[in-house]
Amino acid sequence: MELAASVLLDTTLITLTLALAAFGLAIIYGLIGVINMGHGAMLTLGAYFTWAGLQLEIPFVLSVILSGFIVGFIGLLFEHWIIKRFYNSPYETLLLTWAFFLVTTELIKIVFGSDFRTVVNPYPGSIDLGFYKIPTYRTLICVFTAFVILSTGFVFFRTSTGIKIRAMIQNREMASLLGLNISLTYKIIFGFGCFMAGLAGGLVAPMLSVSPYMGDMYLVRSFFVVIVGGIGQILSGTIIGSFVIGGLETIVALFSDQVIAQVAVFFFAIVILRIRPQGIFSEK
Amino acid sequence: MQNENKISKISRRQLIKTAAASAVIMGSPAFIRNLHADDPIKIGVLSPVTGAWTVYGKAHSRGFELAVEEINAAGGVLGRPIEMVLADYQTDRRLVVEQANRLLRQERVDLLAGTFSSADRNAAGPIVKAADKLLLYPTWYEGQIEEYYPGVCNENIFMFGPEPTQQVWPFMEYMCNKFGKKFFMIGSDYAWPQVTNMFTKEKLKELGGETVGEVYIPFNTPQYESVLRQIRQAKPDIIFHSLTGSDTVNFRKQLVAAGMKNDFTLWTVDDEEVVTSGLGHEVSSGTYVSFDYFMTIKHQNNKDFLDRYQKRYGSDALMNTVGVGMYNAAHMGAMAIEKAGKVDTSSIREALKGIKFDKAPQGTVEMRALDHQAVLPSYLMRVREGWSSVNDMFEQVQTVARAVPQDARCNLPL
Amino acid sequence: MQNVLTKISGEAKFELLIFLALASIPLVFSGYILFILPQYMLFGLLAVSLSILWGLTGIISFGQAGFFAIGAYAIGIVVKSTFLMNSAILGILLGIIVSAVIAGVVGYFLFSAKVKATYFVLATLALSIIIEQLAKSQKEITGGWNGLFVDRISISFGDLLEYSLFNDIPMYYFTLLLTTIAYALIKFLTTSNFGKILRGIRENEDRILALGYNTSIYKTLIFCVSGALAGFAGSIYGTHAGFVDPSLARVLFSTEVIVWVAIGGRNSIIGSFLGGILVASLANYLNSITPEYWQLIIGIVFIAVVILFKGGLAGGLEEIYHRLKSKNYVSARNP
Repeated sequence: MELAASVLLDTTLITLTLALAAFGLAIIYGLIGVINMGHGAMLTLGAYFTWAGLQLEIPFVLSVILSGFIVGFIGLLFEHWIIKRFYNSPYETLLLTWAFFLVTTELIKIVFGSDFRTVVNPYPGSIDLGFYKIPTYRTLICVFTAFVILSTGFVFFRTSTGIKIRAMIQNREMASLLGLNISLTYKIIFGFGCFMAGLAGGLVAPMLSVSPYMGDMYLVRSFFVVIVGGIGQILSGTIIGSFVIGGLETIVALFSDQVIAQVAVFFFAIVILRIRPQGIFSEK
Repeated sequence: MQNENKISKISRRQLIKTAAASAVIMGSPAFIRNLHADDPIKIGVLSPVTGAWTVYGKAHSRGFELAVEEINAAGGVLGRPIEMVLADYQTDRRLVVEQANRLLRQERVDLLAGTFSSADRNAAGPIVKAADKLLLYPTWYEGQIEEYYPGVCNENIFMFGPEPTQQVWPFMEYMCNKFGKKFFMIGSDYAWPQVTNMFTKEKLKELGGETVGEVYIPFNTPQYESVLRQIRQAKPDIIFHSLTGSDTVNFRKQLVAAGMKNDFTLWTVDDEEVVTSGLGHEVSSGTYVSFDYFMTIKHQNNKDFLDRYQKRYGSDALMNTVGVGMYNAAHMGAMAIEKAGKVDTSSIREALKGIKFDKAPQGTVEMRALDHQAVLPSYLMRVREGWSSVNDMFEQVQTVARAVPQDARCNLPL
Repeated sequence: MQNVLTKISGEAKFELLIFLALASIPLVFSGYILFILPQYMLFGLLAVSLSILWGLTGIISFGQAGFFAIGAYAIGIVVKSTFLMNSAILGILLGIIVSAVIAGVVGYFLFSAKVKATYFVLATLALSIIIEQLAKSQKEITGGWNGLFVDRISISFGDLLEYSLFNDIPMYYFTLLLTTIAYALIKFLTTSNFGKILRGIRENEDRILALGYNTSIYKTLIFCVSGALAGFAGSIYGTHAGFVDPSLARVLFSTEVIVWVAIGGRNSIIGSFLGGILVASLANYLNSITPEYWQLIIGIVFIAVVILFKGGLAGGLEEIYHRLKSKNYVSARNP
């Protein structure tokens, strides 16, 4: 019983952390159909900016928020100068965002160096549940993730802008007739996705080593979260995808080793891509 | 042209030996290049300057560079200066092959030093075998087994770093007596952690201890919940840790965040100055680390060495076991050339066997003739509470002035 | 019609020139270049394996390095474990076959369900990670992270003649010969009817479907050919380098191939081939000068090519060629 409860708690932590890392990708992918191969580099940038903020003695929370905004701004510039011309050619956006990854990673190495940087855990300690201790900071991140996803859901389903955006996914001309400025909306969505990536990078930084390649760890996993959850299923899809990817890896690892667990996850993702490209649980 | 013919004809190891032997017997000068007094002796250095092991690359190449500068300042070797030719292999085995061949065939270096991980060294193994040039390898590693020839057990490769029977065995008894005999082993999923753990388990059994868990983690794993749960359930006395690179940092940070740091003693055989800096003192304090070299070793050699090093590269420049391995490799290589009086491979190889360097930063280092394995000092350190820099990071707990490794499991002598 | 003919023969002349130049290099140069150029020719073939997908058919793969690695492992494992006379040839064949079969199975699995082209990219990404992870974990077969040593092969014809590839020059010509054959076969394929259908798929898949062609079979076949070519290049690479390890399959190497092809010219087979050779050579050369900035430069060049010169180097040259021609044409008409 206690084991089951602890496995459940762990899985929740894994799911929500993965969801946080994948959320920016899911938004950009789901709403404007751009496969952002630069997502990993944006996570890394967020972590480095947070580190730099702490070096300047800016408080942690403020550093993270600033990192989100700076990465979001970089994303906006990238969209404005380059990506916006290629919305109709998915390959070009894929290659350009990959090039963004290559260039950004090299710039990070030149600017920040390649030693490990440390972001100190701002909320050390753990919450003791008697049978199990859960790390305070992880819990806070998970609560925050849930909050972000729910509030995005609110904007999406309960506001008129949200309704227009949903109309836009279905039919661009229609949405434009409804008075939605398509190119501005694309810009805002792309910027918001990058903002979320930067924020996520800053938030996971205290749990990981801050190094030029740290985003790579989450990049591929984030893709599979989006694939398994269903492209376009931004809210429920991200959570379900994270649960399946994180949970599957944990459960397979219980019975065999970690490498086999990862192979199983990737294999599963290929199968899902074919049989249910709309995601495992979504209806269509 | 001479060189190429030599490369091409000799394809089997036995042939190399025969050729070397006959060259010695005949005393033939045919293989030796014409010597000019100011013609430099060229040494090719393979370093991971960029790519995943970049963090180690800096100390790695600087250690060698410093030694070369010292040697040249003292008049060089055989009256000739040493020229170091640096090649970056970007932590990519494909580029180890490319760059090692460039150094040998285009730069025409007289010998090679470097590579960082065992896989990098393995990639260079067949090349130094075929070209009949030496490779001086600086890193702590898993020891030599004939199965991995020519990556190890190669008569052209010399090891300047410690292997598990030097790095771990000397301190097993102390750790077991002090903290208990139940070990949980966690390592990265490749040969070095696995072989290190195999040796550790062997010794543990001898001491009457037990292994209560053993997991191997793929590279670049961000989350460790399931491993942490396994550790809690296994209730070990000591977590024996051989994760590498960023995975070390990821795991250790999450171990601390889960509130488990004070419940277990952690003994790591991977976290030298670079990684421990990446951990910060909150995460790293109180853990045990064992290596042949630390910046905080109390030894006159080390003090002098660090004075020179920090004067050259700045007072916050990091040094570590690999950098010192490279430093010793350069000095001992130069001593061997001086002793041999010439720079052909077989002469340097013979001269390197048994060479002793008592100015090494960690104490005295001796190259064992039998299996090309260095006999080194070994240290067990404890990470200080609230350390602020590499200069006060570790405190010395145990010292072994001369850790002798087990004989390599090769067809000896090499 | 006249124009088409002169254009084709112009390109063929250029190709002939390139291969003749490659064949005469050992007569002029010696040393390192003779060792390293065969490797770059194999990278050139790897680039061609992508260009027949991307340029010809309009499919991108992020997994070409995976097939390359399969080929390299195939020859390593065969040479190590058998004592047959022609284990080298067996290894090369196995590399080709295994890569082709995997590509065929994965290709058919995805194409038959009409999976979107961009999803296919993600699937190939996953495939290459699976190959890398398996190479790392199946230690008994692959040597795991520590890698696998591969001896230089020798080719034997019957009992009497054994041709060792240990020397640089034999290895050079052996690689050049196989590269030329593979290149010619691919060239033949792209100019055949099969190639035309693939081009049709790239331009308008629905139209080709309407004409009664089963496009998913054609896409599967070209993915098979591409996998086989990458596996073939990998198997020769394995014996040339003498060492194979899981990092050969990594995604970063696959994307390096994409950069070669983008810069060389995705629509041109010879452009892609030269892209592989030239970018890899330049990387090696600049490595000794500026390792930190080289990768930044290549990233920026890559962006520029994708935005401004979709045809890459080959496209640019072709354009210049045409401009010159039309100028001549104009001046000829107006004396």
